Amino acid sequence: MKSRHDTLGTAALLLLILIAWEVAGQLRLVADGTLPALSAILTRLFAERSDYWPHILATLETSGLGFIIGNLIAVAAALVFCLWPIGERLLRGVNIAAFAVPPIAIVPVLVIALDGDVARITLAALLVYFPTMTATLAGLREVDPRSLDLVSAYGGGKLKALLLVRLRAAVPAIMSGFQVAAPAAVLGAILAEFGSGARWGLGTFLLGSLGRGEPDRLWGIGLAATAIAGVGYGLAALAAQWTTGRNRAVTIAPPPSESTSPQVERWRRSLLTLIAVLLPFLFWQMLLLAGDLSPIIAKTPLGVLDYLFFSNASPSAQSRLLQALSETIPITIGGMFIGLAVAFLLALLSFATPVVMRALLPFALVTQTMPLVALTPLAVLIFGRGITVTLVITISVTFFAAFVLLAQGFALIPRPAFDLVDAYGASTLQKLRLIAIPASRKWLFVAARLAMPKALLGVMIAEWLATGKGLGNLLNQSRGYLDYGMIWTVAVVSVLVAIALYQLTYTAERLTER
Amino acid sequence: MQGLPLSFVDVEKTFHIKGQALTVFEQLTLDCPGGSFTALLGPSGCGKSTLLRLALELETADAGSILVGDERPSAARKTGAVGVAFQDAALLPWRNVEDNILLPFQVLGTKPPDPEHIGKLIRLVGLEGFEKARPEELSGGMRQRVAIARSLATEPRVLLMDEPFGALDLILRRQMNLELQRIWSAARPTTLLITHGVDEAVYLADRVIVLSARPAEILADITIPFARPRAPELLRDPQFHKLCDEIGAYLEPQQNQTEA
Repeated sequence: MKSRHDTLGTAALLLLILIAWEVAGQLRLVADGTLPALSAILTRLFAERSDYWPHILATLETSGLGFIIGNLIAVAAALVFCLWPIGERLLRGVNIAAFAVPPIAIVPVLVIALDGDVARITLAALLVYFPTMTATLAGLREVDPRSLDLVSAYGGGKLKALLLVRLRAAVPAIMSGFQVAAPAAVLGAILAEFGSGARWGLGTFLLGSLGRGEPDRLWGIGLAATAIAGVGYGLAALAAQWTTGRNRAVTIAPPPSESTSPQVERWRRSLLTLIAVLLPFLFWQMLLLAGDLSPIIAKTPLGVLDYLFFSNASPSAQSRLLQALSETIPITIGGMFIGLAVAFLLALLSFATPVVMRALLPFALVTQTMPLVALTPLAVLIFGRGITVTLVITISVTFFAAFVLLAQGFALIPRPAFDLVDAYGASTLQKLRLIAIPASRKWLFVAARLAMPKALLGVMIAEWLATGKGLGNLLNQSRGYLDYGMIWTVAVVSVLVAIALYQLTYTAERLTER
Repeated sequence: MQGLPLSFVDVEKTFHIKGQALTVFEQLTLDCPGGSFTALLGPSGCGKSTLLRLALELETADAGSILVGDERPSAARKTGAVGVAFQDAALLPWRNVEDNILLPFQVLGTKPPDPEHIGKLIRLVGLEGFEKARPEELSGGMRQRVAIARSLATEPRVLLMDEPFGALDLILRRQMNLELQRIWSAARPTTLLITHGVDEAVYLADRVIVLSARPAEILADITIPFARPRAPELLRDPQFHKLCDEIGAYLEPQQNQTEA
């Protein structure tokens, strides 16, 4: 598929973009030098290389450990959920909460509760867990039913089906999970370095450089972070490519049979849901008990309720919270939809013309790991402090995960499906409409579920650092006033908002399945 | 090892698809004695494949009993007594030919056979030289032959085949028919063969069952009188053709209309 001609095209396009960057930098075309010339960034990076090493090594270690631990837990959890679907129902609340937590909101909490290095690794692992878990579970479940029949025909049970068929069939999906997880681990490590007062790490380095207003240094740190994530992403992408070719079904599989999960009575279903909702709060309470922290700093679930409804500060807290929510929620939903649309268009583009896609991918990757906090000051210089900057940042955090999933969905479509419509002289557009889009519908919803809470994170970071509105700003102010009640309240409320949005996409998926 | 008897007694099966009930069998009874070879003919969609899936307990019957030997299919299949070749080859795309044939042993958890046994099966279905090829590198007919080799690999006492030769050309099909007869004569597994080819059914089986359209009933149960081993010349025998025509008549559309 990948011909020499294509490779040349990719290289030419890449070169063109780099030249455009260099020229724009030299002539100070973008927001009066906010985008320095590539040569200037690299020269500075080279000159300061001895300053970089300890920071790079520190971030490499925490993000690497977080990546490994988070992925191990994620794959193990997906295997358990696949064998024992009730386990997924029970832990659904924990899963969604672990995923929806805007990392920026819990950095202060983690730093209070855990030892420095452990806090950073924990945040990296936390950000890795959900994308890998969902991708793995989707891969384990999306299996050719004929292969499962064969295992059953020889008396194999669920475990044999898992070991002999599902696990191997899920490898490309697991790899696509790793691709999303690699930049997430770096982002987690760097975000946690901000609040932790660590001596080394790219986050610390970035924080120290923020005030100096030197775009070339900020970009240099961003590139270093990108390089770390890029190595992880590249290895996973390579593995995904290598395994996908062998996984493509030889013929078009019939759709999997109706869900085989046994009919659960209504009261049992309600009980499961209730436990799923309560478990995260139970974990939260137990974590605080184990950490033996002061109830003034570390609020329990009841402590947050007390603060929000029964204390002297309640009326003021409620009105501030509602005001913040009314500013944050609409723009989150809007940003999510645009981000998803961008991802879908990019995935289509990569499907139609791999040349363009391979040239754009490195830049897409930069927006992922170029930590938002480094990106935001630059984005503010370019886009101002209005709604545009929030949207730009939100889109840039949402589209990447969605794009990787959608591209994977397109790649898994069996070739004979395309050969068939090709035989009738289908145009690329028709191939998209008849085959690619219907076949990737499931992935579109998985992508939406991934994007929703990320959109909230993007909006909150932009609010915190740029626009001074909404939940993000409220959290920032509360940190300044040491208003622990509000810090915990915002963390909880932002998770609840994210869960509500997540459920919304889930319901939408259910409705379209009818 | 003698073939195990396979019996369906008063089997009922109804599918519910989008709220619509689709009755496939109402009280179907079919008895295949140990070591017999039964071919199953019938119009498309009458439930032939469902019968095979019931015999493997991939579907469960709503009523009636299905026994392999004196066990339920779900128990029998765990002993490795049952071999199956599905209509679709159902090969694992990431495994090569050899490893696909080895799959049943891994599922059953039994010791893998010595390589010579697998090599013999691969030669039998004419795939020598393709041992290390993956399914995507094979033609449709070659994939089906891998599935046939796999169904024979465990030396089953009950062999279930769902149009295993459907994707083969006529010459290869004849050749595979000869081979299947030879293998079957040596080991005598109780065989249930679903096919669309009347001549294939008559050539291979002791007994040909013709099913009606849904809900499927046994329209005809014909004993095939030809002595074994049956030489290829039988295919040109006038008596053979007479029998084929007779059976073919049951499959004519008018027949089904008068039935319905």
